[in-house]
Amino acid sequence: MKSILQILLVVSLLLLSAFSSYAEEKISGAEVINNNCARCHNARAVHEFSIPEWKVIMPHMRAKAHLTGQETKAVLEFLELTSQSVPQERKIEPENAIAPDGKQLFTQFGCQGCHSLQGDGGTFGPALDETIKNKGIGFFIKKLQNPQFNNSSSPMPKMPLNDQQIVAIAEYIKS
Amino acid sequence: MNMLKLLPIAIATAVVSGQLLANEQQENSRFAIAGYGDVKYEDSKVMDSSAFSARFIPIFLFSLNDKIHIEAETEISIDQQGETEIELEYADIHYFLSDTTTFTAGKLLLPFGQYGPYQHPSWINRSVFSPGIYGGIGGHGGYQPMQGLLPVMSDIGVGIQHIIPLGKNQKIFFDLYMTNGLAAEAPHDDEEEGHDKESTLEGNEEVDEHTLELPELAFEARSGDNNSDKALGGRISYAFLPGVEVGASYYTAKYDDDQKLGFTATGFDINWIGNHYIVRGEYIKTETDDFEEDEHEENKVTTFDRNGWYLQATFMAGKMFNVLQGTDFVVEYAETNKINEAERWAYGINYWLDSRAVIKATYEDTTVHDGEDDKRFAIQYSYGF
Repeated sequence: MKSILQILLVVSLLLLSAFSSYAEEKISGAEVINNNCARCHNARAVHEFSIPEWKVIMPHMRAKAHLTGQETKAVLEFLELTSQSVPQERKIEPENAIAPDGKQLFTQFGCQGCHSLQGDGGTFGPALDETIKNKGIGFFIKKLQNPQFNNSSSPMPKMPLNDQQIVAIAEYIKS
Repeated sequence: MNMLKLLPIAIATAVVSGQLLANEQQENSRFAIAGYGDVKYEDSKVMDSSAFSARFIPIFLFSLNDKIHIEAETEISIDQQGETEIELEYADIHYFLSDTTTFTAGKLLLPFGQYGPYQHPSWINRSVFSPGIYGGIGGHGGYQPMQGLLPVMSDIGVGIQHIIPLGKNQKIFFDLYMTNGLAAEAPHDDEEEGHDKESTLEGNEEVDEHTLELPELAFEARSGDNNSDKALGGRISYAFLPGVEVGASYYTAKYDDDQKLGFTATGFDINWIGNHYIVRGEYIKTETDDFEEDEHEENKVTTFDRNGWYLQATFMAGKMFNVLQGTDFVVEYAETNKINEAERWAYGINYWLDSRAVIKATYEDTTVHDGEDDKRFAIQYSYGF
């Protein structure tokens, strides 16, 4: 058995050097949360800790959950994004109206990290197209306004989105 | 310029500078506290008692810089005699060598299987109790009759972990460690009086292996060692994220003063997470050396094999039925074989008050082949913070 351990050690050191610079690609913090947190526990609510606290907690979770440094950074960026204040609603004039871009917001807030849309995306939360189909757009809007309104144990973070932006995301999902 | 005119400017500058410094410190905090705790009511047949108990387990976290992170977990509880117990679960320092490699030194959680290093906190473990193959660590209050195969969670030494990402959804994890390891338990009074295990074996030539007694080993971490041999071990696992993680673990150490007797544990584990269910399981096999006198009354090394496994299934009913929101149903089976044989069924129901606070109720039925059976019920209110 000791020889197995020695082989493991050698193999791991070889792999360590071979893979230390793996292909860099944009990592979604929401997707990292979806893929890793639930391996052991329910995801903690974002607002449970302040961003300065998350900055100390995430290195702890990096070691515990075997996250890479890039993944840890991506999670922190996502947490910072969700901690922003809700933007003021824009007054939309009919003649030059530029409504919020639902698709762009959907991507920006990493919705697909935890939820699937048309079969593509995370499984941590329910499929979004199914949610709107089954529960209606009103439920969807209310859920984004107050993620715990129907389920106090939901780890869904409250995104810094105003009502216009929430509707834009709902319209994008419906389309 | 008149000094009186300068004074308000100086005060304003000091206030603004102080505010900026405070903001900077607030944005880049070095310290955070997390952890968990629980309150439990437990009724046990074998202990013929019922009792409330409570634990508070803070984790102190420090980030010295981007490369260095320090963490320490202490368990504060009250024992059955009313004394406050403080136990250092782990206290280690991580050095992030690269994006994918971390060196750790200190009292560290041994990366063997999944329960010890990852799932033992009571707000994470879906049962009130620890799986039978881990004995009582992290779960049962007082005595419990199922003897664990590897009743250790942490030890003092060094470790290194390496991650190999294979695309977005697959990873291979390597963990290697070297620690002080285990030691032979100090002899009991009856052994000193000549009634030790060897003499018991001598008088019974047709020994049923089920009645054999394993050498008593001390697994507790110590800042010292009874020999120069160090425990070596590691875990390799493959994760297909977010659904499946399978791993293989290994631990070996010499435990006697002369470094002739060894203890080896090999383990396999699985963690399978679906939309509405979690299945966790582990198999552990141990080999424990001991001296046995041969026909020439000379000591020879004999190896005792043991094995055991558990499988825990959690059905997250609340994710399927709105009316059961926050409710889990848990069933677990565990058994230990060859020596100190026992089987255990456990059934539980959990209710999540929010994502980090849960009320768990578990009923456990243990059958021990050569000993007293146990039936145990517990309700635990556990919280992560």
